[in-house]
Amino acid sequence: MTSRLLDLPSLLKLQSLTLRARLVAEGALQGLHRAAHHGSSVEFAEHKEYAPGDELRHIDWRAWGRMDKYYVKRFEEEAEVRSYIVVDSSGSMGYGRQDQLTKLDFASLIGASLSYLLLRQHDPAGLVIAKDTGPLYIPPRGGSAHLGDLCRALESTEPAGRTELDDALHLLSETARRRSLIVVLSDLLPPPPLDEGVDYGDYLRRQSALLRAKLVSLRAQKHDVIVLQILDADELELPWTSLTWFEEVEPGLAGQERLFVDPGDVRKAYLTELGQFLTDTRLGLREGDVDYSLTPTSRSPESVLLDLLRGPLRQKVRR
Amino acid sequence: MQLLSPAYAIFLLLGVLPVLIHLHGRRRAEIRKLPTLLLLKASNRRVAQRTKFRHILLLLLRMLLLMAIPFLLARPFAETDSDLPVQVSQTQRAVLIFDDSLSMMYQPAGDLKLGSTILLERGRKLATRIIDALPQGAEAALILGSRTAEAPVGQLTSDRTRLYSAISALRPSYRPSDLPSAFKRATQILSTQRGGLRRIYVIGDTSAHSLDGSLQPPAETEVSLVDVRDGKSLPNCAVVDLRAEPATSMGPRAVRVMAELGNFGDEPRRELQVTLLVDGQAVAKGLVDLAPRGQAIKRFIHILQPTPSPTQSPGQTEAQVAPSAGLHHLAVRLSPDALEADNERHLRVDVQAVLRVLVLDGDPRNLRRDDEAYYLETALRPSERDDSPLQLSTRSLDEGLGSLSEFDAVVLLNAKAQELSRRGIERGLSEYVRGGGGLMIGLGDNVEVEAYNRVLAELLPQPLAVVKTAGSLPSHPASEGESSTQGPGEHLGQLDRRHPLLQPFLTGRASESLLSATFARYLLLQPTPRSQGETTVLLSFESGAPALVERTVGRGRVLLFTSTLDRDWNDLPIQPAFLPLVQQVVRHLSRAPLQKAETETLIGQTRDIKLQAGDTRVEVTLPSGKTRLFERLQGRKLLSFTETREPGFYRVATAGDTGVLKARPSEHFAVNLDAAESDLQLAPASRLAALQRPLLQNDVSPSGKNPKRKVELWHALGWLLLVLLLGEALLLRQK
Repeated sequence: MTSRLLDLPSLLKLQSLTLRARLVAEGALQGLHRAAHHGSSVEFAEHKEYAPGDELRHIDWRAWGRMDKYYVKRFEEEAEVRSYIVVDSSGSMGYGRQDQLTKLDFASLIGASLSYLLLRQHDPAGLVIAKDTGPLYIPPRGGSAHLGDLCRALESTEPAGRTELDDALHLLSETARRRSLIVVLSDLLPPPPLDEGVDYGDYLRRQSALLRAKLVSLRAQKHDVIVLQILDADELELPWTSLTWFEEVEPGLAGQERLFVDPGDVRKAYLTELGQFLTDTRLGLREGDVDYSLTPTSRSPESVLLDLLRGPLRQKVRR
Repeated sequence: MQLLSPAYAIFLLLGVLPVLIHLHGRRRAEIRKLPTLLLLKASNRRVAQRTKFRHILLLLLRMLLLMAIPFLLARPFAETDSDLPVQVSQTQRAVLIFDDSLSMMYQPAGDLKLGSTILLERGRKLATRIIDALPQGAEAALILGSRTAEAPVGQLTSDRTRLYSAISALRPSYRPSDLPSAFKRATQILSTQRGGLRRIYVIGDTSAHSLDGSLQPPAETEVSLVDVRDGKSLPNCAVVDLRAEPATSMGPRAVRVMAELGNFGDEPRRELQVTLLVDGQAVAKGLVDLAPRGQAIKRFIHILQPTPSPTQSPGQTEAQVAPSAGLHHLAVRLSPDALEADNERHLRVDVQAVLRVLVLDGDPRNLRRDDEAYYLETALRPSERDDSPLQLSTRSLDEGLGSLSEFDAVVLLNAKAQELSRRGIERGLSEYVRGGGGLMIGLGDNVEVEAYNRVLAELLPQPLAVVKTAGSLPSHPASEGESSTQGPGEHLGQLDRRHPLLQPFLTGRASESLLSATFARYLLLQPTPRSQGETTVLLSFESGAPALVERTVGRGRVLLFTSTLDRDWNDLPIQPAFLPLVQQVVRHLSRAPLQKAETETLIGQTRDIKLQAGDTRVEVTLPSGKTRLFERLQGRKLLSFTETREPGFYRVATAGDTGVLKARPSEHFAVNLDAAESDLQLAPASRLAALQRPLLQNDVSPSGKNPKRKVELWHALGWLLLVLLLGEALLLRQK
């Protein structure tokens, strides 16, 4: 199955996000085994020998008459899934190694591919792009033509400004009335502090907790929330060895945007801090019944999509 | 501080290189954007202080490293005032007397100036520096200050290499110091050339014992004393003497060991552990307190066990096996101190394994219980045990005397004087006693007073007088010519409480038992002038009449018991005290359980090894295990062994025509240190001044200044460099 996945250089050669999304989605579907959900539906799927616990109303009495054995009918579920893709477009999402996808590119590709899959099964899909100037909102609609609108919006988005996921999430909590699927694609990194003398560790934990609270509140509104935390391998490993000036990506307090440090000296402490941050995020979201996945950009987008289809989207997307 | 190669000092500027590299690296550092900078800042705040400190330390280390290398190459040295004599830099001919005696093995502890090496090491350094300081072309010789030592450089020479080589080859010895001889030798060496300044440097510990009044500075020669101890007091404890003597009251193999211990320091020493070693095994330990500059005697009593006959394993010479039966190597060891060698002293002890006793029965009977010797034999051999210390032989007078040399004691029982005379027994007994044997005479019905006094006149402690009947025994009513008190019998009344033979009977049941014995008859003795000198009354009856009398005849002893040693005249043989009494008597008579005291051989003294006819080779095994072989000794009666260079026990083996070496324990010997070397008390200042007086009169060097001494620092810098490198490596590992 891995051989069928598109490699990153091939993907990068494709200019159109629509095409890339389609290729990624199709590749993921090929890799996906049929995993239909057997629920109550009008569409008959198969017979199954009766076992204690099965509902009596599903017993096929005709089959009993013919074969003198109890069989129950099984059905494929059919329901409309209304979904929103939330993409973080803050400055930090613009990070990526040379000749590699930036975090925003990666999020856009995943978002577009997911939209393709949903629209393909005639489910309405919407898009919210979180910007510091205010969220860009495209309401959910069905039809294959809508995919082009979504991809154009994503392609035209440039990473810039401070992280402002709050507004986007607030917009959704106001807008999405019905039970919906909300997929959040972000690095979940708080923006730099604007106050002097802040304890960075405390600030990080406080901001992270606030963001988690917002996401959990969406789940409390009965929405299905999936969070993909997208991070670059550099952020996960701090691989450098020589003395380096590190600079902020997002605008912050003047004079505090640089740090001169030998990565070798601080690597161990950094990885400990990062591990704590990721653990807090994972546990906080899972406690709030929010699906969470750490997604490095070094992963194949198809495999990320495949994991979603096998996991939280198993009941939402059909082949 | 000065530099031997100052040109290298310019490279000290390299020390700023790490700072420049750091500043350059800071300016040229890469700039990266990092979205997780917040996390990096949070983590950096935790480690920043430690990291900054480590960076500064690393920077300093690298600076020091780069500066240390050129500094090392510049060979820095410090110049200090020398502790050598002022005149060392004058033009002169010099003889260095190096004291290599035992006291130079002293190892001062915890003294920064003297260091932790032995005094001899410091002496070697001083000797080297004296040679260094001598002006170019000055001639010097090197001789040793210990007894019988050969001179390493016995003639004046300007060859420094030879002198340095000889100094580095100097080793400590166990010999005592002998500075008078060394002075004579030095004077001879210096007198080979006339004119010029002649000087003797004595490099040693300036102890009082080595610089005593017998040492006189040679005429027309200046003497300079170079003190290796730097005027410090050197406390020391030692075993200064070791003796052993028989402890007869404890048995034939018991020895009393007396170790004389000396404290040669000004502080008291408490609870010093003293260990007695027999044949290399520690057998007893004790503690002793020593007053400042005091002495004490530690006594041990030890019963020596007969060692098994020597067995020889393949490849082992006879001389290497354990001492044979009777010979023991005794040593006393003191707990360790700064002068280790004198804490042990050795002694050779010969102990008879078995006492051989001959009983001459003057009244043998067919019925054993009626035999005169029955009770005596029973008491001397209470059971036929193999480990019995007594070997008993009984002969009747008819059998003659035979050879008495194989016996340690003889008991003559109720013998007729005519029989003794007719068989010449009295002459044999007389020779035996004069030669060192022990004889006990027991009386009885066969004794005729006049005949006895005549025949045994040379042996009897006092002439016999008359038989006294103190009471009547049923089988022996008083007869004519006998003195009688017509009483119930007589008891013993007085004991010589100082005599070792009677020590077990002074108190307790043994005493009661002895004094309760009833004597019906005994012989009164005639008083003679001799009784005031050579004879001693050990036991007396209540009436005051002697019961047991001792006389010294020649080298031997005679004991006269004035009654019978069976039940004919008394009931002593059936008293519990009889057995210990006769055993004590026999031990006492057996001359000495120990052979005569061994003459002590000291380090450096010649030991004469007696050779027997047929001896062709002698091998001497030294305490260290080394062997010395002497061959072609046919016809010689004596071998003078001079290699007594180490203290301890020397074993001798000889070989005859067969060529097989066999141990000869009789020639084993112990060698000890000269106790005078243990006293390291500093000689009085007046004595030191007297010896150096000629020097003091010319106490001005040409420059008028003390000679300077260079102390090279680059060795220490080398170590510092290594430490810095190690430190840098450790700091880098902590990243």
